Amino acid sequence: MVRAHVLSVRLGAGALALALCTLALPARADDADAPVRVKVERVRPRRETLPTLQFLKANRDFFRSRLDQLREKPLASRDRAGALDPRFLAYRRMIAGVLASSDSTAAIEDARSRRELFASVTDLGRLEAELDEMDRLLAAQRIRLTALQEDFDARQRTTLAVVVSGCPRSGAPDSIAVALEDGARFVAPLSEADRNALAAGGALQIFHGLIEPREQVLAIGLAGGAWAAGDSAFVTLEPPRDRMTFLQLDLSQAGAASGASGLQASTWQRAGVPAPATERPSEP
Amino acid sequence: MFPTRRDVPSGSVARARACGLALALVGLAFATRAHATPPAPFAARAGLDRATVAASVWATDAQLVYLENDEALGDDGTSARWGYLFYSPSLQRARAYSLRGGKIVVAENLEMKFEAPPVPTGWIDSDAALRAADASLGRDYRRDHAARASTMLLTRGTFQDGDPDPATWTVVYTSPNAPSLFVVIDAATGKVSRSWRG
Repeated sequence: MVRAHVLSVRLGAGALALALCTLALPARADDADAPVRVKVERVRPRRETLPTLQFLKANRDFFRSRLDQLREKPLASRDRAGALDPRFLAYRRMIAGVLASSDSTAAIEDARSRRELFASVTDLGRLEAELDEMDRLLAAQRIRLTALQEDFDARQRTTLAVVVSGCPRSGAPDSIAVALEDGARFVAPLSEADRNALAAGGALQIFHGLIEPREQVLAIGLAGGAWAAGDSAFVTLEPPRDRMTFLQLDLSQAGAASGASGLQASTWQRAGVPAPATERPSEP
Repeated sequence: MFPTRRDVPSGSVARARACGLALALVGLAFATRAHATPPAPFAARAGLDRATVAASVWATDAQLVYLENDEALGDDGTSARWGYLFYSPSLQRARAYSLRGGKIVVAENLEMKFEAPPVPTGWIDSDAALRAADASLGRDYRRDHAARASTMLLTRGTFQDGDPDPATWTVVYTSPNAPSLFVVIDAATGKVSRSWRG
């Protein structure tokens, strides 16, 4: 009787812990950049379907008839050129600066190589001046790189990179196909070198592109070799906006028997680059 | 005869209590996750940015051509869900995004031809548009016919007979006992441009 009571209490405590973990799960998934395991399913998961644009769809004939009557007239003001993004002009100046710096560095190197011996204090002074000049060039280059990082790295777009690793015992497939919910589908053929790389513990990036920032189901298909045609598995992802999301597919547990659903998947996001607190440095 | 509480051995009572507590907690956990506070209603412009980001992934030349409330309208011109329709001239297709709680909950291609002109960026928000419609005819219509504003849609080229160029908000008031009231508002100026019953 006492053992049963203790067991019940343990069960209750276990359930409490389970419940607390269940409550805590969403927060944990949100705040970490560490890989998170993703469920791989054999059947495409069913999702709630909500109606949208009901008025438009109910009155489609009216809208169609009104749109058919429209005729576009080009306006003169629309021919005017818009202002150029000042960043594009800055890039041109940066390239000119880089080329000028290269010339200066080459000239300094040239002069240095012609001198085999510093004969006097004057020569040492000249050398110090050259080192100062190189420091200045390096500082200018650092400013350019900071500007480029702000323009391209700190302003990420919503992208997905799919990485494949591991090699199934039955051999790697000939190709891997990934289909997004918006209809985009890409197929990555695996060459002999790719398969050897996977067998040696390497990883391959098979896709890197834009993806809609919303929860969606990705269909992953393996084909060729021991893999049945049309063998697919499904993974649900919710890529956060303006972040780069990685999806790693580990093929090592997949096999001809288990099919594509035997693969393991994990996801993580690239850490955001904090925007600099100071004003953007100006090009010297 | 059903056993009374006194008939049940004390160990079973403890076990039942523990299991009951566990079930209640698990139920509470799922209930908390599944039925969290409903997403707050928002005015239409609040969801535009996220919808535009998604549309730009679908097509780089995607332009907003239409929007409509996907769930009930509040008296202040907000809704818990709005649908945004984009058209891509290069793809010659339209794709809709429906947003609720700051997330895209529906993304689907529109299975109809809809090459509407793009809506210019400077449009008043749905709350201001509904205020303008209420101030003109809507408030009286609501009072007299137990009506409500059921639909708000922003579009261009469909509701202005004389000059189809400006974008317009159209507010549809529906009543169980009277023909619906349509109020069209210039989306740039907020002025009522026409209205009709039908």
